[in-house]
Amino acid sequence: MLTLANLSKKFGNFIAVNNINLEIREGDFFGFLGQNGAGKTTTIKMITGLYSPTKGKIIIGGFDIQKNPIEAKSLIGYIPDQPFLYEKLTGREFLYFCGGLYKIDKVKLKNKIEEIIDQLKIGEWVDKRTEEYSQGMKQRIAIASALLHNPKLLVVDEPMIGLDPQSALVVKNVLKQKASEGAAIFMSTHSLNVAEEICSRIGIIKDGQMILEDEKEIVEQIRGTDHHNLESLFLHLTK
Amino acid sequence: MKVLFHILKFKILFVIKSQGNFNLSSVIKSLGVITVYSIFVVGVYVLAKNIIAYLLEDVKIGMYLFHRFIFVVLFIFFMAVNIGNIVVSYSTFFKTKEVDFLLTTPLSFTKIFLVKFFDNFFYSSSTLLLIISAVIASYSFYFGLPWYFIPFALSFIILPFMFIAGMLGAIILLIIMRVAARFGIKKVLVTLATVYASATILFYYFSSPVNLITKVFQYFPNMNNYFGFLENPIVKLLPNHWVAESLYWITTGKDYAAGWYIYLLIITSVLFFLFSLLIAKKWFYKTWLVFLNLSSELSVKKKKNSKVFFSFENNSSLKPRREALIKRELLLFIREPSQWSHFIVMIFLISIFILSISSVDVIILKSYDVYLKALVYLVIYLFNVFLIASLSIRFIFPLVSLEGETIWKVRSAPLNYKKLMLTRLFIYFLVIFIIGQVLNFVSNYQFSVPLAAISQLNTAFVTITLVSLNFGMGAMFANYKERNPIRVASSQGASLTFLFTIIYLVFLIILLFAPVSNYFYAIERGSLISISQLLYTSFMLGAVTLLFSYLSISKGVRHFNNDV
Repeated sequence: MLTLANLSKKFGNFIAVNNINLEIREGDFFGFLGQNGAGKTTTIKMITGLYSPTKGKIIIGGFDIQKNPIEAKSLIGYIPDQPFLYEKLTGREFLYFCGGLYKIDKVKLKNKIEEIIDQLKIGEWVDKRTEEYSQGMKQRIAIASALLHNPKLLVVDEPMIGLDPQSALVVKNVLKQKASEGAAIFMSTHSLNVAEEICSRIGIIKDGQMILEDEKEIVEQIRGTDHHNLESLFLHLTK
Repeated sequence: MKVLFHILKFKILFVIKSQGNFNLSSVIKSLGVITVYSIFVVGVYVLAKNIIAYLLEDVKIGMYLFHRFIFVVLFIFFMAVNIGNIVVSYSTFFKTKEVDFLLTTPLSFTKIFLVKFFDNFFYSSSTLLLIISAVIASYSFYFGLPWYFIPFALSFIILPFMFIAGMLGAIILLIIMRVAARFGIKKVLVTLATVYASATILFYYFSSPVNLITKVFQYFPNMNNYFGFLENPIVKLLPNHWVAESLYWITTGKDYAAGWYIYLLIITSVLFFLFSLLIAKKWFYKTWLVFLNLSSELSVKKKKNSKVFFSFENNSSLKPRREALIKRELLLFIREPSQWSHFIVMIFLISIFILSISSVDVIILKSYDVYLKALVYLVIYLFNVFLIASLSIRFIFPLVSLEGETIWKVRSAPLNYKKLMLTRLFIYFLVIFIIGQVLNFVSNYQFSVPLAAISQLNTAFVTITLVSLNFGMGAMFANYKERNPIRVASSQGASLTFLFTIIYLVFLIILLFAPVSNYFYAIERGSLISISQLLYTSFMLGAVTLLFSYLSISKGVRHFNNDV
């Protein structure tokens, strides 16, 4: 579903992402870990078309995002780390706007919005303007907007920021459900226990380079040595 | 005072740092900007000097009427600065995170008020000050005044005048908020709009420029005499009158007479300053709380009256994406006070302009001077263009930036971003185009049908050019982090666009002056040959429009692929 081939990004002389290669299949839940400034968000912004790569290719569902952006983007649902919304629109209006961007039929959209409101438990405040929302509320609206068109690939950047434990649980369940339905999930996170709990594969990026990328089972085998958990392994690899 | 300077120092540091790193490309960019600004200043200087020479030497309106002309222009200027400050201050006093932060620090409310006021005043008036400096320089050199007149006039005449307009705006805003807490914001705004409209009508009623011209012309050829006795005493209370008078008396060598008006300007600005400090000390925090209350009241009302115009839930015959886009645009516009209120203010200023020129036909009919007729036509036309330019810079330039930080949603969606932005542009273009055409019709119907018709066509070309220019420049200087459209429209990129607009205005004058003068000559002679000249000019303008618009939009569109 997602292929990153020799992907690099330079900002002036600074190399933010250095020659990353990655393959993510349908149903994979890929946890993308790394320290602050390691290159996680830059990679995600390239996958979603917000940044153009300096070198390399990004193939989504067989479409190169640089050459066929519309086809590639129609397969993606993106949840950013900073969920900026239109402050003067309500959450529901924002969802309708997003549905329009994906050309979803009005009746289908209405039903889908109701379904997602119920699923994410946002009905209480979805009709308030987003300027009144907390970070967590905004995050849940951003998540809802990414699910409207049933994406084949969900690209998620730090989904748990600002979420209370109940909301975090709801979001984890929604993401797990999407993966079980066959969607590929590419999720960057700082929360190692979240990655440990829900990801089927894990990759670690350091200084723009992938220093570990493998199946969870292999990670667990490594963990069997000196490292008792993912946190210990992560700290060891990124020190 | 120390704390105030400390904050201002960091603000200046912030402005300098946000210009980018010190490397070759930023140095070249800065040099380019300085070059354009310098050309612009020289252009304004030359233009102003030629206008002064034309009015005094060719049209021979005399020193007194010339300074009355300055008096009327300054009134419009005063209103623009004043109303502009009310609108901008609303955003910066109450809606910025910086004020939220400053309120948590042990800073007095007066100091927070001052920091934000100076922030507004100098940020949004820097280009205006540059233009005025060039005009004052040309004024000084034309009348052979000593070099030190320029810094003197800027420091002790122009700055106090602008300061009065700005401070008055800030004071009025605090009063509005206080009164709104008691009577509701809608009632207060309607009352305020009525007061401003009445003040404008009364200004034209009492100053009555057309009557004054007629009366002064009765003393022809002694046009350089002082005709202050013909004026209504009420207008003598206005700061724009003090500026015009002080300039008049300095130029005619009676500095002692100018001194009184300069004293009035300085003392009034000081009084306004002291009064604003007093009112800020008592009301700044209270009005901030009023803003919070009004916001939450509005939020409760919104929930009660959940029916919304242009609701996304309503069915529409438009395609889903187009519907989503148009409804988003309309809702964001009508829900953003700095957008709709500024739009209303600009429409109000346009109405003042229409009101002012409604009696211009008297001049045209009574004048036997072909050049004066041509001048009247061109001045009216250029004012039209200037209003279109103002609307473009205010509403088109920020268009790309206003995608804001929510751009992640649009740019990651499966759509042609270029097409989307051009659709948005078209919506705004249509509104400005209609306003331009109506404005042109209302201000030109009194001229002959062919001239009025050609004006309509030229205005269409000018609107396309200015809208394209602002769109292209807005895309090149897009700042997705700035939420305040007014600040986007007064940023460095917008100032540069404004300078290009002024250069374009000069080009228009050069292009239109000869054919329009020939046309009026031809009418006097009963010949119709010069219409072809006007048409030829329109074709030229059309060609320039095509080229310029293509270049502007294509340059702007190229920036859509930038990383966000």
